[in-house]
Amino acid sequence: MILVKDLSIQRSDKKIFENINLSLSPGKIILLKGRNGSGKTTLLKAIINIIEPTSGSIFWKGKTLNKNLYDFYKNVTFISDRTSSLNKLTVQENINIWKKFFMSKITKFQIENILKTLKLEVYLNQKVNSLSFGETKKLEFLRLIIEGKKIWILDEPLSSLDDESIDIIGQTFQDHRSKDGSIIFSSHQNTDIGISEEIRL
Amino acid sequence: MQFLKKIIFFYYREYKLNLSGLQDILTNIIFFFISIFIFIFSIGPNKEIISLIGVGIVWTLLLLSSTLSLRKFYHDDFENGNLLIMHLNGFSFGFIAILKTFSHFLFVQIPFLLSIPVACILLNIAYDKLIYIFASFAIGSLILSCLGSISSSMNLMNQRNFLLGSVIVMIFSVPVIIFSVGVINLEENFYSLINILFGILLIVFAINPWASGLCLKLSLENS
Repeated sequence: MILVKDLSIQRSDKKIFENINLSLSPGKIILLKGRNGSGKTTLLKAIINIIEPTSGSIFWKGKTLNKNLYDFYKNVTFISDRTSSLNKLTVQENINIWKKFFMSKITKFQIENILKTLKLEVYLNQKVNSLSFGETKKLEFLRLIIEGKKIWILDEPLSSLDDESIDIIGQTFQDHRSKDGSIIFSSHQNTDIGISEEIRL
Repeated sequence: MQFLKKIIFFYYREYKLNLSGLQDILTNIIFFFISIFIFIFSIGPNKEIISLIGVGIVWTLLLLSSTLSLRKFYHDDFENGNLLIMHLNGFSFGFIAILKTFSHFLFVQIPFLLSIPVACILLNIAYDKLIYIFASFAIGSLILSCLGSISSSMNLMNQRNFLLGSVIVMIFSVPVIIFSVGVINLEENFYSLINILFGILLIVFAINPWASGLCLKLSLENS
């Protein structure tokens, strides 16, 4: 479980946010909402220990994050506002690289099913740079599933997605939650994905 | 064991990426050979002069050609978030720097190593000097990769001025050029000069993960 206590971040005399508290337990989905520049991405980066907070603490399994970082990283994955798939390679080659690098035990049959659900199966042998931004964004979710980690930290995962794709992603969130996974994601869109808690920045 | 497998798959990924971007590597080598031709045409048909300054030309062009590839060193992985994903999968930023440095050496510098014999023919360099060029280049190119790693990680923090990184590499590679050319031209001092080159390699190899890792962390923090 992640516990964020009184977290404040300031950058060159500008307060980004202050005294943020949240707890992310298994099966919980937290939505961070706020206008552009309100610090959503900064908070997510602070949670994964890329940005040092000005004050406050983050705990993982009862210990300060810095003291338990290796174990934390074994359980967490991140989607940034960019897409991590390798543009010059095909969708299939990306999947092969992810499977190998993350040492995933996911079967070919499972991947085919996910690709069908995400409506990406027709692009399997196409290079990623020929896909639209929305489609590469959906491909990111396939990476999350292949990684198989418990905690998903997602920065604007719904941007550039149409309503149908957002529904599919919503279903993916619920599947992850049903397996005791937890999600914290930022969005400036209104969404009816089954959210446990909404935090405004 | 799992960690070792991850390293192997990291290089599998780099191999696939470099294979798909083979034209970049070929462009670097073509740049290298075209520059040799330009030197030959500008010096004229005097074989002795070409032979005398040939080693210096090879080293200068190797340096210039390898700086061409520096922009790609970390840029793509930084832009698409893969640096962060690697970090979240157990690779510290310093370790990523070491892995990427060896990747640069394998996929960018080694093709140059293979093209050196052809360059020697073009520049009328004696065959008996080839072994000295190989030895100095094997060490010198790894030094250039380490310097390239530091400068391109610094470039991530200063994306407006790519030339700054190249300038840093150029300045710090002056001793490498001096001792590498010395290794070949002063054969009687081969072992002492190669030891100095090896010493420089150890210094930059020790600094690289620390400096590059810090720059990678700061650039991700500020992105």
